[in-house]
Amino acid sequence: MTDQSAAPAAKPDLVLTYLLARRPDLTSIDEDLDLIENRVIDSLGFVNFLYVLEEATGEPISLDEVSPEDFRTLRRIRERFLGGRPAA
Amino acid sequence: MTETLPKNAAGLAGTLAGDPRFKEILDRLVAMSERDYYDPYRLFQWPETVVEDAYWMSPELMTVHGTAVGARLDEAQLRALSKWESVNFYSLNVHGIRELLTEIVARIHQPGYALTSEYFHHIIGEENEHMWFFATFCLKYAGKVYPDRAMAFAGPGIAEADTFLVFSRLLIFEELVDVFNQKMGNDQRLDPTIRKINAVHHQDESRHIAFGRQIVSLLHAELRRTLTVPQLAEIEAYLKRYLRASAESLCNPAAFRDAGIEEPYAARRETLADPAFEEFVARVLKRSTGFLAAEQIISDERIPAL
Repeated sequence: MTDQSAAPAAKPDLVLTYLLARRPDLTSIDEDLDLIENRVIDSLGFVNFLYVLEEATGEPISLDEVSPEDFRTLRRIRERFLGGRPAA
Repeated sequence: MTETLPKNAAGLAGTLAGDPRFKEILDRLVAMSERDYYDPYRLFQWPETVVEDAYWMSPELMTVHGTAVGARLDEAQLRALSKWESVNFYSLNVHGIRELLTEIVARIHQPGYALTSEYFHHIIGEENEHMWFFATFCLKYAGKVYPDRAMAFAGPGIAEADTFLVFSRLLIFEELVDVFNQKMGNDQRLDPTIRKINAVHHQDESRHIAFGRQIVSLLHAELRRTLTVPQLAEIEAYLKRYLRASAESLCNPAAFRDAGIEEPYAARRETLADPAFEEFVARVLKRSTGFLAAEQIISDERIPAL
């Protein structure tokens, strides 16, 4: 039987989890790591990442309203799309 | 769009002129384009509606075909999804043609392209018309073109390969689309208007694909002569990722959402992870991977996950 009194487990950070899964050579991703320079995000993987972000935010993201700079670091992604919080 | 035109125009011209058959093929393609010329603005009837309660694309070409996600959908849901996956397919055509036109317009009558410019005129004219009838279909019968979801970041970073990669991407896009056009243009389960836009596109694309195969083959032969083995391997890895991304773009959560399927992102994830989708990827890309492998551009036909 489940212990209902236990504190709920922290929800995984969907964005970080996705990016780490794409780059198994990385054990963590610094908030200010340049994701584009380091090829964590690139043209061919971008659409799948966009869908992860849309799922995390709960709404479609119009590319008319964003630029590559909005995806350069985890910090910028959180600020731009997630109100500064992890993508739970 | 590629940032720069080839810096070695003389080298490019020499590569393209190096095989006398290329000129013969170009002349033949120009003659065929002139012979088969039609006015698309008069060719299509555009009835007020297409049959709504039917398949809009061949069921075997839907991304959920044979998957657990597909098995959970009833017939009405599958038909609805076929409508929105077909609109996604035509929308991808619209956006793919925009990239193609941008790249060809950037090259026509520029240094290095003297041999190909005459045929570029035909490609530009024909692709503009294709874009028009695909967009017209989407807007008239679905009320929208799905937005482009691509964003350009840096590619492999091998400057000598830029021109090859542009024509390779265009060829892969055209071959993938043509697999669908060829089947749907002759699928009696589909509405006549749907059959016709696919059949007409297939007719024109067979010429563009013939051109694409020739130029990609010539350009890669030159790269094999000049690039290192690791550079060629990087190009192969990039092309395989492009192939995979192209196939995955056919599965759009917006189409799931418009078809009334709950949790569209989870449905897409599950579809892409399904073994039946692997079979789908291999099947719809078979023509491209077969050609690329035969030309020693890729070393095998496996397309790994992104």
